[in-house]
Amino acid sequence: MPGRARALGAERLAIGVVLLAVAALVVVPIARLAKASTDASVGRVLRSPGISTAAWHTVLVAVVVTAVAVPLGAAMALLLRRPELPARRTLRVAVVLPLVVPQFVLGYSWTEAYARAGFTDSVLGIHWDGLIGPVGVIVVLAVNAVPVGYLLATAGLVTRAQPELERAARASGATAWTALRTVTLPVLRPALAAAGVLTFVATLESFAVPQVLGTPAGFSTLTTRIYADLSLGSDPASFTDAVTLALGLVLIAALVLVPADVVLAPRLRAERSGQPAGPAQRQRRTWRSYAAAATLGGYVLLVALLPLLALVAASITRAVGLPPTSGNWTLANFRAVLNGTTTGALRHSLELAVAAATLLVVLGALSAVLERRRSGRLLATAATLTFVIPGSTLAVAVLIAYGRWFDGTLTLILVAYLAKLWALAHRPISGALDRFPTAEWQAARASGAAPPTAVRTIWLPALAPALLGAWVLTFVTALHEVTMSSLLYSTRSQTLAVVVLNSQELGDVGPTAALSVLLTALLLAAVLPAWAVAHACNRWRAPRQEVAGAL
Amino acid sequence: MPSEPALRCRGLRVDYGDVPAVCDLDLDVGPGEIVALLGPSGSGKSTLLHAVAGLVAPSAGEIWLAGRRVAAASASEPPERRDIGTVFQNFALWPHLDVLDTVAYPMRRAGRSRPRARADATAILDLLGLGQLAHRRPAELSGGEQQRVGLARALARNAGLYLLDEPTAHLDAHLRAAFLGEVRARQRDSGAAVLYATHDATEALALADRVALLDGGRLLQVGTPSQVYDEPVSAAAAALTGPVSVLSARVGPAGDALLAVEIGDASDTVAGRASGPPHTRQVLLRPEWTSVGGPFQGRVEAAWFRGSHVDYEVRSPAGRILVRETDAPRRAAGETIPWGIRRIWLLPDEAAEPQPSAAVAPG
Repeated sequence: MPGRARALGAERLAIGVVLLAVAALVVVPIARLAKASTDASVGRVLRSPGISTAAWHTVLVAVVVTAVAVPLGAAMALLLRRPELPARRTLRVAVVLPLVVPQFVLGYSWTEAYARAGFTDSVLGIHWDGLIGPVGVIVVLAVNAVPVGYLLATAGLVTRAQPELERAARASGATAWTALRTVTLPVLRPALAAAGVLTFVATLESFAVPQVLGTPAGFSTLTTRIYADLSLGSDPASFTDAVTLALGLVLIAALVLVPADVVLAPRLRAERSGQPAGPAQRQRRTWRSYAAAATLGGYVLLVALLPLLALVAASITRAVGLPPTSGNWTLANFRAVLNGTTTGALRHSLELAVAAATLLVVLGALSAVLERRRSGRLLATAATLTFVIPGSTLAVAVLIAYGRWFDGTLTLILVAYLAKLWALAHRPISGALDRFPTAEWQAARASGAAPPTAVRTIWLPALAPALLGAWVLTFVTALHEVTMSSLLYSTRSQTLAVVVLNSQELGDVGPTAALSVLLTALLLAAVLPAWAVAHACNRWRAPRQEVAGAL
Repeated sequence: MPSEPALRCRGLRVDYGDVPAVCDLDLDVGPGEIVALLGPSGSGKSTLLHAVAGLVAPSAGEIWLAGRRVAAASASEPPERRDIGTVFQNFALWPHLDVLDTVAYPMRRAGRSRPRARADATAILDLLGLGQLAHRRPAELSGGEQQRVGLARALARNAGLYLLDEPTAHLDAHLRAAFLGEVRARQRDSGAAVLYATHDATEALALADRVALLDGGRLLQVGTPSQVYDEPVSAAAAALTGPVSVLSARVGPAGDALLAVEIGDASDTVAGRASGPPHTRQVLLRPEWTSVGGPFQGRVEAAWFRGSHVDYEVRSPAGRILVRETDAPRRAAGETIPWGIRRIWLLPDEAAEPQPSAAVAPG
């Protein structure tokens, strides 16, 4: 039958494309990195004192941030689940804000708000010296990670903890607190553990915040060491250093991930598809619900809104240390940064992000479909594995593998992005396929639609939000990205994020603030329309998770 | 000395958003009594049970449990302080606990030590024949087993009142019968009162001491199963308890305790009394109150074979009527058959007008 043969041919083609991509993006770079490390004098590097300190700092930061951010995120999810909470819809959006803002901008905006000569210093005379140093790194990384815990806990509450389970506990004699302790939290445990693993790995590989807040205080982590070795050092020894550190980083990640995956994966898979939750009853608003909403609002104000406002103030203030009053306002900073370098970098960033997002939606869709066939399952797993390889490691690997042909080009950065972000595009699409009921497909076929028609009329409209979500998610992440591009860029391939980082290192407060504002505005311009579209789609289907993940 | 009712609701009202889900509801459940709450889905059964259990707060009215007021508009006692056991429609078993710990859970909350609670839970499981499932998790149980574990968990509260929220909605017919038998037996043992929500008329009529008919958040009628079935207060109430035909016919006295019913040119007499001169009234006819053969003629529109009997849908000048014959179907659609009536129920004259406030108070 020709149709069957054509389908088989298409499947072979898809497998071929994914196979090639996995080989080029994952297997070759990692193999080259492993080989390079055997050549390097690893033993010597490991014995050098700075390394073990950096490794210890990295683990410490990751452990503390995870321990702080996951419970906070879970608490927020539990609070924001209550329908009687005042301003609930606004707060649900607001608490995700620290994740949308690029890590670099978040860290830098905190210095503009709370450090010496910052906003609070000039207005109230209060400043926080600890911000530059380990405590500041931990606090800002935790603020950045809380939304991850919040989003995963919320998803867990929706799919696993139906209100009936808590009602049953209350009806069995449990107080609200006991029901939370004995039913809701145990049921959420796999989701919270997953959030913990994700936060831990994301913190391990975080670069911008330790660079902005840690490096000035002499507090180094593995990622900032790699950056220092590759960007500032030029001798072969520092390259060997970087290779070894990159491997060390991936080893720490593996030490946590492998056992976690063995324990967690079956539990997360055994997740029941939740029965439809009944309508939540609006309880009466008490002073407690107002207090809870005020606490959440105050938190968002303190950790995101005030720093961002301080950043904007710094960007339009004539000189450092002047009070942010209208007499001192100027657009000179924006004029100064809107030069050839910046516009070139902006173009690079947009080109990279669009190319990466577009290619990744195709790759993600292919791997998501192949995941559902026996022949492609392993391939899909391999494709998504790179997400947990720290960005610094991946950048070093890509540099070793392809540097001699593409050194200093946008292509090199694009390869790194494709490798790193494949999983990010794969997951929303795969999730949408999971939720796609076979019955709808069968009904279309039974109503007379041939497979191509059924794909066009039933699948695409249903999957469109997920595809859009995957595109936005990868686009935004690529715009954020500074860890890999800061290691791989040259003057020909600077991205906006790299320009901001360099400007900060030069100590130009006004221009850095102006650039940060531009970068954030660019992100919001990308995110907000997607958000509106997602809300429009929600009314008709519920792909909230895909798009919520993007924001 | 008359003991206090296990449950007393007065003027109860529950709002979801702007929509009242339960409105102006008065209901009593006596000690040791089984009351079935019968109504279509969306009629407010679950909401009423949740309000009684303390899972939602009423917006107006009062709830009394065994003579103690637990909810008023001003304050509502939380569920854990009410002497109530609840069985949920979707089972609501906790995925992280095995059967033994699920049943021990209410006893732990009542302050018993873990070993003691487990020992008591084992006793309940053995009573329900679930002993061999003690160490299984909900995912490893069938639907019937899950619901019996749900019942065991409710019984573990050792309460004065049990609420069952459509417990058989997700069970097959044979499991349903077994479950109902179990509920009956346990209720006889414990002497506790039961409020049992269902949309299945057969189940409600067979199980309950009294049946409360609920529609659109309001009680239509409360009475014994035979009262609500034979003497419904309205056509809507009659339709909730089983198939019924409503016709307009001229009805008047025809001698001592006899009524004449005129349909078209023909008339028949049945037992009954009516005041006043003959006039056109709303007449309710259960299919089994009719028979094939009699003074009336009608065209068969459809025949429904039910195994033990056949219902013919017959067109008459007074409306469509279900006529029952205890036999295999012998007539086909299009044939004209003679039919007669053995018994009727007259709706009160004023019930012809829709008057929701005419709902009958319990008692």
